[in-house]
Amino acid sequence: MRKSTAPIKVGVLFSQSGATSTIETSQLQATLLAFQEINEAGGIHGREVIAVHYDPASSPGTYKILAEKLIVEDGVRTILGCYMSSTRKAVLPVVQRWNAMLMYPTLYEGFEFSDNVIYTGAAPNQNSVQLAQYMMSNFGARAYLVGSDYIYPYESNRIMGDMLLEHHGKRVAERYVKLDADALDFREVVADIKRQQPDFIFSTVVGRATGHFYRAYAEAGLDPRKMPIASLTTSEAEVAEMGAEVACGHITAATYFQSIATEANQQAVAKYRRRFGADAVTNMCWEAAYFQAHMLAEALRSVGTDSIQQLLPAILGMEFHAPQGLVKIDGANHHTYLTPRIGRVDASGQFEILQAAARPVKPDPYLVDHSIKDWSSQVTVASVG
Amino acid sequence: MPRKSVTPALLRDLRSLHVTVFHPNDEDGIDIIRQLQRIGCQVQAFWPPTERLPDETDLVFLAVRPETLSLSLPWSNGEQKPPIVAVLDYENPTTIEAMLKFSVNGVVASPVKSFGLLSVMVVARQIAARETEQHKQIQRLDQRLAGIRRLTKAKAILMETRGINEEQAYEIIRDQAMAKRVTTEEIANAIIHANEILGFRAKAEVRDLQLVQRKKPIGPS
Repeated sequence: MRKSTAPIKVGVLFSQSGATSTIETSQLQATLLAFQEINEAGGIHGREVIAVHYDPASSPGTYKILAEKLIVEDGVRTILGCYMSSTRKAVLPVVQRWNAMLMYPTLYEGFEFSDNVIYTGAAPNQNSVQLAQYMMSNFGARAYLVGSDYIYPYESNRIMGDMLLEHHGKRVAERYVKLDADALDFREVVADIKRQQPDFIFSTVVGRATGHFYRAYAEAGLDPRKMPIASLTTSEAEVAEMGAEVACGHITAATYFQSIATEANQQAVAKYRRRFGADAVTNMCWEAAYFQAHMLAEALRSVGTDSIQQLLPAILGMEFHAPQGLVKIDGANHHTYLTPRIGRVDASGQFEILQAAARPVKPDPYLVDHSIKDWSSQVTVASVG
Repeated sequence: MPRKSVTPALLRDLRSLHVTVFHPNDEDGIDIIRQLQRIGCQVQAFWPPTERLPDETDLVFLAVRPETLSLSLPWSNGEQKPPIVAVLDYENPTTIEAMLKFSVNGVVASPVKSFGLLSVMVVARQIAARETEQHKQIQRLDQRLAGIRRLTKAKAILMETRGINEEQAYEIIRDQAMAKRVTTEEIANAIIHANEILGFRAKAEVRDLQLVQRKKPIGPS
């Protein structure tokens, strides 16, 4: 039998419009960059990898329709995509019905498992816990919680609330703003923050609203050195959008920052900039999108087909030298070993890495009780300076 | 009320649970075990179901098959009953009957999906905890009711034998209880016992008297 030379089509669903288009566009570009690298290195045994991409416009309904279209009309069997949990939940039944595979490169709230999904973003035990520890030991345990109104912020705030209580701290307030909240919405929130004077602010605001929030904070004359915003979702992409002068001094926990000094990262960033412009910035979701595309290619190479029955065993347990360092897919829960870090935005809009785990942390998506005793042994924190 | 945690306790302690799975070693059984392990529970699996539960069983998954109908599983009833989640592969009357026999607290349908298992466990535990609590409460109420009945009986004995009213009878019982530093219920018991022994004949006489009295008004005399 002759070896097939037909291209392998892979579905790609990241939004170029709608509330979370900035970060999703970076995930799209990371995926396209990885595909370019894969094809330049000879593809899958000579077969080209082609991205079939549609714009789901940050809308769960559109995500669902396009996932179905990718599988039924375009004949793809693997989809790389989704940012908000609501969009993943919309795609999930589709990939299950058609026994296709979804690779999901975004931090999320955990408590999910599907045989048809590989999760390459951080679970809460790989970012929330580290952020809570850092903020409480450096600023105090009275936190003001602000999030966008969807599942991820609610779950993140539950975890943060538990950890604050464990430290005899307090949720000064827990507030939710709509996904497309604007400057006016945040003026009121920030005025309340100013009145209440928490030790720090915990933000899980996502998308364009993030910039409005940080700007309202800056305009109110608050000082990030004394009362910073700590976030799980504010990455280089959001910082670039709002401007470094607004974001400077605020803190984010993530498994990847553009400033990571590994060679794999320097190279990936350089290639990314050659293709998408010298100003292009990377971020944690960009990185997950980038390495998961490479891991998919590696699995495709080793089994020679994109059917999930063969692909899954190849992906489960796979290790890869990603820009953040070594990552590995956990065979039992389909999530990824990742290295948590704490970063602070500097004057150039990049993150100065304040802390990093000494080694990748095992994903634990069903961890309910994120108590301090659980993770102090698990995460050896090495100061990077 | 101060809350120790934002997260409900039923959810918080899921990880410390010892779960016993009575399920054949098939795809569904393996899926259940894997998902329980992902959640972080301690899991043991057996088939067929055993008459005795392993020590430290906090929750049971029980595959319900027609043949389970004939099994006797003492642990599925009674006070110490753990929460039970039935795993059904058919929804016919035979299977439903088998399920009802084991007073289950939750149901999952086959083919088992990993999504939904956590919720059914939490709900089953909540229902079982509520059942246990209600059972205890009913026992307490039963005891109190029995106590009130005995007190009433003791008062009746005193009223009868001493020709006093109810209030006076109660005062005697209460004074005795205070003097001897025991409960009024114990005094009531003592009076009833004493009456049963000493008043055996008298009681028979009283009964005869009552019969005579009751007969009197009947019919024109």
